[in-house]
Amino acid sequence: MSISKEEVRRVSMLARLEIDENEIDSLTEHFSSILEYFNALQELDLEGIDPFVMEGVEGTPWRDDVTLQWNERSSVLSESPCSDGDFFKVPRILGEEG
Amino acid sequence: MKIMSYHNMSAASVARKIRSGEFSVSDIVRACLECIGNMDGTLNALITREDQKALQRAAFLEKAIASGEDPGPLAGVPVIVKDNMCTRDIRTTCASRILADWRPPYNSTVVEALENAGAVILGKSNMDEFAMGSSTEHSAFGPCRNPWDTERVPGGSSGGSAAAVAAGYVPLALGSDTGGSIRQPASLCGIYGLKPTYGLISRYGLIAFASSLDQIGPFTRNVEDLALALNVLAKPDHRDSTCSRKARPDYLEALETGSLSGKKVGLVKEFRNYRLPPEISASVDRILKILQEAGAIIEEVSLPVTMTSGLGAYYIIAPAEASSNLARYDGVRYGLSAEADDLLSLYLKTRKAGFGSEVKRRILTGTYVLSSGYYDAYYLTAQKVRQIITREFAEAFSRVDTLIMPTSPSPAFRIGELVDDPIQMYMMDVFTLPVNLAGLPGLSLNGGYSAEGLPLGVQMVGPKWGELEILSMAHVIERELGPAPIAPGGVTDEN
Repeated sequence: MSISKEEVRRVSMLARLEIDENEIDSLTEHFSSILEYFNALQELDLEGIDPFVMEGVEGTPWRDDVTLQWNERSSVLSESPCSDGDFFKVPRILGEEG
Repeated sequence: MKIMSYHNMSAASVARKIRSGEFSVSDIVRACLECIGNMDGTLNALITREDQKALQRAAFLEKAIASGEDPGPLAGVPVIVKDNMCTRDIRTTCASRILADWRPPYNSTVVEALENAGAVILGKSNMDEFAMGSSTEHSAFGPCRNPWDTERVPGGSSGGSAAAVAAGYVPLALGSDTGGSIRQPASLCGIYGLKPTYGLISRYGLIAFASSLDQIGPFTRNVEDLALALNVLAKPDHRDSTCSRKARPDYLEALETGSLSGKKVGLVKEFRNYRLPPEISASVDRILKILQEAGAIIEEVSLPVTMTSGLGAYYIIAPAEASSNLARYDGVRYGLSAEADDLLSLYLKTRKAGFGSEVKRRILTGTYVLSSGYYDAYYLTAQKVRQIITREFAEAFSRVDTLIMPTSPSPAFRIGELVDDPIQMYMMDVFTLPVNLAGLPGLSLNGGYSAEGLPLGVQMVGPKWGELEILSMAHVIERELGPAPIAPGGVTDEN
């Protein structure tokens, strides 16, 4: 299995992570190495195995749906790079006219 | 280097002497801060020092003691916490540019537990960015150095915590372990490191890397301190739904084991298929001999899929979970934010500027294996292999009480040696990461030294919730070999 440069570009958009053109070669090579390790897994007999059974895990705990006081609104907002009143502020979401 | 009289004391004895009034908290805290001041310019084990806060806290504890209060089992014990655990009002960076100035509005449960037990936090330790790495070179704050040889890495990702304990800054530090990030640096720095069973210690406030694998655990120079730390940290927590609601034992009971008569120890035979320095096998043999002399029966155990396919499964699962967990760093609510005219560019540019190369590789790998059309082929296959690995361990533990193998295939390597070869770096975790895939407890202790005098760790793995068992065996070994020494490049005691 190998991965094309085009695919690396597509994945970087999916990950919302800009990469430079000169990084693409080394990333392509890296993916191929990882997939080499992965290929060995496909030779195993995996018939009938449920991928999501975590043996011994206790399961989701339940609790009453009770409102708790948490008075950290200002300290949370103060960490924001850009806020307006009680809101986080972001640049334009839609196109030029939006 | 600098004279100080507390540097090789255990956390347990510091707490005892403080509770009995023999030592004052301020004296100990000052001595540790002085030692850090003298040495950390070289080692770079800490990202953030909090000297003033630590001295204020020491004064507060002294006042409490003077008025007859008992601060708790870690009374006055100086500790260091890995910089991926939230500390209220102390910046928590994950060694990343993206969180370089972030101050969490809350404490992680483990930080709360340490403070409730009377500990004094001196600072936050260096690490591989977002805990991704095995050398503590992938840090936005520069590489950490190994106190055994400052040209070498301390291991990673919790390298700063390991170096701090090995150098004698503090007797106890916290790390986190997703694929070996406590055990491998403990091995490379010649100290004790314990990754508990998945679900033993709350991860509330631990910045997530791979949520089905991450666990918090202690670094110490002796076994009693590991047990003491577990007593303080291992508690149910409603704020972490993966944290077990079961009652925990008193881990200090592990120190009462005298004989291992009738205990069965499994030697994982496949580690010999890897080309390892002969001193690593010799360290494993040395530990086995001690266990045997204490009455344990040694049996060879085979984990064929675990030891060949663990790495392949891990490097699908861990990046997949990382790509999902790290999607939250978007430049909007906290952390670094790039200048941008629209929201998509804000995401793209913030993440490009904020993450380092290894984190980017893992996010992209994880995004790829989870992307449409590939999910079944990669992630589901890896999860199935994970099930086989879990069963192999369970089958082994139906026959033996603990398993033994090396912690790391190599002693501390040179700074720069593997940093441009990610796959070789990943190999450093080949013996530790299967233990995370199966959610089991693993402990690393020193078993000997390489030809160059570098420490070599031996890993002891237990069944689920088997901490008491592996601590008992580790304690028997410690009685033969003694506690871990302060590294030659660490603080010395000329008194």
